[in-house]
Amino acid sequence: MTERQKDLFQKFAALASLLGLVVIFSFTSNAFFTVGNGMTVALQVTSIAYLGIAATCVIITGGIDLSVGAILALAGVVAAMAAKAGVPVPLAMLAGLLVGALCGLINGLCVTALKLPPFIATLGMMLVARGVALQITDAKAIGGLGDSFAELGNGSLWRMVNIGADGFPDVVFVGIPYPVLLMVVLAVAVSILLNRATLGRHLYAVGSNLEAARLSGVNVQRVTLFAYVFSGLLAGLTGCVLMSRLVTAQPSEGLMYELDAIAAAVIGGTSLTGGVGTISGTVIGAFVIGILRNGLNMAGVSAFTQQILIGLVILLAVWIDQMRHRK
Amino acid sequence: MLPSVSDPVYSEAPSSAAGALLRLEGITKRFPGVLALDGVSFEVRRGEVHAVCGENGAGKSTLMKIVSGQYQPDAGTLHYHGEACTFRSTAESEAVGIAIIHQELNLVPHLSVAENIFLAREPRKGWLIDRAALRRNARRCLDRLGLDIAPDVLVKTLSVAQQQMVEIAKALSLNAQVLIMDEPTSSLTESETEKLFAIIHELKRAGVGIVYISHRLDELAQIVDRVTVLRDGRHVSTDRFADTSVEQIVARMVGRSLDDVFPRRNSSPTPDVLLRARGLTRQGVFHDVSFELRRGEILGFAGLMGAGRTEVARAIFGADPLDAGEVLLGEQRLAIRSPRDAVRHGLAYLSEDRKHDGLALKMTVAQNITLANMDAVSNRVGMIRFDQEQAAAARYIEALGIRTPSSSQIVRLLSGGNQQKLVISKWLFRDSRILFFDEPTRGIDVGAKYAIYQLLDQLADQGIGVVMISSELPEIMGMTDRVAVFHEGRLVTVLTTRETSQEEVMHYASGRSIPPIPEFSPGPTDD
Repeated sequence: MTERQKDLFQKFAALASLLGLVVIFSFTSNAFFTVGNGMTVALQVTSIAYLGIAATCVIITGGIDLSVGAILALAGVVAAMAAKAGVPVPLAMLAGLLVGALCGLINGLCVTALKLPPFIATLGMMLVARGVALQITDAKAIGGLGDSFAELGNGSLWRMVNIGADGFPDVVFVGIPYPVLLMVVLAVAVSILLNRATLGRHLYAVGSNLEAARLSGVNVQRVTLFAYVFSGLLAGLTGCVLMSRLVTAQPSEGLMYELDAIAAAVIGGTSLTGGVGTISGTVIGAFVIGILRNGLNMAGVSAFTQQILIGLVILLAVWIDQMRHRK
Repeated sequence: MLPSVSDPVYSEAPSSAAGALLRLEGITKRFPGVLALDGVSFEVRRGEVHAVCGENGAGKSTLMKIVSGQYQPDAGTLHYHGEACTFRSTAESEAVGIAIIHQELNLVPHLSVAENIFLAREPRKGWLIDRAALRRNARRCLDRLGLDIAPDVLVKTLSVAQQQMVEIAKALSLNAQVLIMDEPTSSLTESETEKLFAIIHELKRAGVGIVYISHRLDELAQIVDRVTVLRDGRHVSTDRFADTSVEQIVARMVGRSLDDVFPRRNSSPTPDVLLRARGLTRQGVFHDVSFELRRGEILGFAGLMGAGRTEVARAIFGADPLDAGEVLLGEQRLAIRSPRDAVRHGLAYLSEDRKHDGLALKMTVAQNITLANMDAVSNRVGMIRFDQEQAAAARYIEALGIRTPSSSQIVRLLSGGNQQKLVISKWLFRDSRILFFDEPTRGIDVGAKYAIYQLLDQLADQGIGVVMISSELPEIMGMTDRVAVFHEGRLVTVLTTRETSQEEVMHYASGRSIPPIPEFSPGPTDD
């Protein structure tokens, strides 16, 4: 097989297993293959997808970001506190995004200026961000955020509802939830960035061979910095969307999400050694995880068993990836 | 019991191979899409040095990997001491006395020299490592090579040449009967090479059969008894070295005769000075280096390993810091703080280690060609214009004769010579006017070398200034206009190539009759 065929094979394998899961779960539960559940899955997948897209960018440069779960909690909490304090919701959420980007900037500076290994830099941020989130909220959830705060996470585009003769609403079309819309826009935009923009090309070059990129005149520091700031920003976005969906800001939200994000990227063929990865792969990876969870839930499989199965799926995916690279 | 060979009489019939330690018959090895070896027969006798020559991709390394058990042949048999056998791993071949010294170093950087030599064979006291015995045994191995390396130092602190010698010491410690050396001298200095050759002679007398793989054909005469040439996975010839010549070997390797190793120089330097370096100093690395590079000139940097040639080039390019001195481009003084600055001023540095810092191996041919000049193939908002990128790639693939199935081929899969051409393309696409070319033909086969030399000549003809750093003196003599000779961090002299000789260059490079470098004063000492 040529490289290209192998690549297609890998993509196809991930996609095929995704379809396989859908078929299996359609048999185990009647409610699985419905428009409503499809939207539910899509909605559940959004968090993993946002973070997975961020993780892909960072991993392509040969780095890793362990702090996204904690950053999303901090960003969400900040947005909620600001909204609660009377700041208009869009501005409050913008504050959340900025907090996320700021955390990412600190990560990036630790990696580029202080030359800390990304694993350590983001591990530190993971603890710090989580600690700050717990500190400023006294570890208490922030509730009563109001309808406007809930709009981003719960609203939909083109939702069609008829008010029936009996006065009860009748949902004609559930609509496209904003988080799902956002996921599609993000995936397309970052895909274009990675494939078509010089910045994206430089991300790959830095991950493929940092020294060669540097000697070619690529601004390695700035490219690396971008990856971490972007990752922080998307973590902030995830925090806002997630807290909005729950209409509650939980400082302990997003625990271990960084691992789901990395798993999604890896299942989608992103190489942890850097230089390789696609957004389409990562989105497929996110859906594999999301559908596994959802389908197993509906089939009544316990959370513990789910965890075991997802673990095995990750091992399988990476093993397939290794096979591909073996000559 | 094995019959001993009294004298190395060459017998034509392979079946009567007296003293054949190791005999391979009709070895065939197929990889997906490639027939790496096609019915190759080959034998090593007691007490002989048997050279295996061939271009990159001829099948030398695959053959050696089959001998050492890393690969299993698809067809053919392997006889050791007259008995058919199969090795399923390196451990199995080592156990019966076949050792291999790899071209790429296989040492563990964070372990000591002694620990590396006896890795997985540590002398033990019960469950624990017998550290005293370990050190003692290692000392003995190192002494045998006359190496002044402490067994306790960590391998990562050693120079590449020293690591190579440790690798050799490790192989010798196996008491091998068949020893395979894959490019053992590629990173050794002259004196270290001599030491190695003395050891090879000693091993020969002890009856060890040595398989010797080297691109440096000129050194074969000193040690080799027989030579086998492979081409495209097939056996071409096996001769006594005395009955053949380097020219003949080269002709057989490439399958055609090369008129000369070096092309005729068509270019000649102009009097305009492109680049002027004055008093360049990097503390403890090089000291007060000054030189001029003219338009259309190929300037050689000669010297031994560690003389500071690469370091000077890297510092001018902004890859490493400079402590003192200035670089002028024409009349303009350059402030280069990073490779980015250097690239902007039209400088290019082609590293001696293509894979480590020249190419993004996981990326495609086209992506590598445009990497240093993305602006030329993207629009104002930084979006890549793929049509322009493809056109640029096609242009350079054509112009430099890069052999690749397509411009979207992953670079890792190209041969060394084509990878080298790719690095050159990258810098030509950047419109570089000054090229620092570090060991341009290292690890490249003979045919591709010629193409690289021609290319260098063409570049000079276009008015590009080329600095060629090379440890191959014939290459320096054959290609340059002038030679700057380095010794221990100093530029000793600049010679006009046509008026000098290899001997004179070596004389300066080895540092005879040169004042010692002054101690670097660390500035005002604090009390």
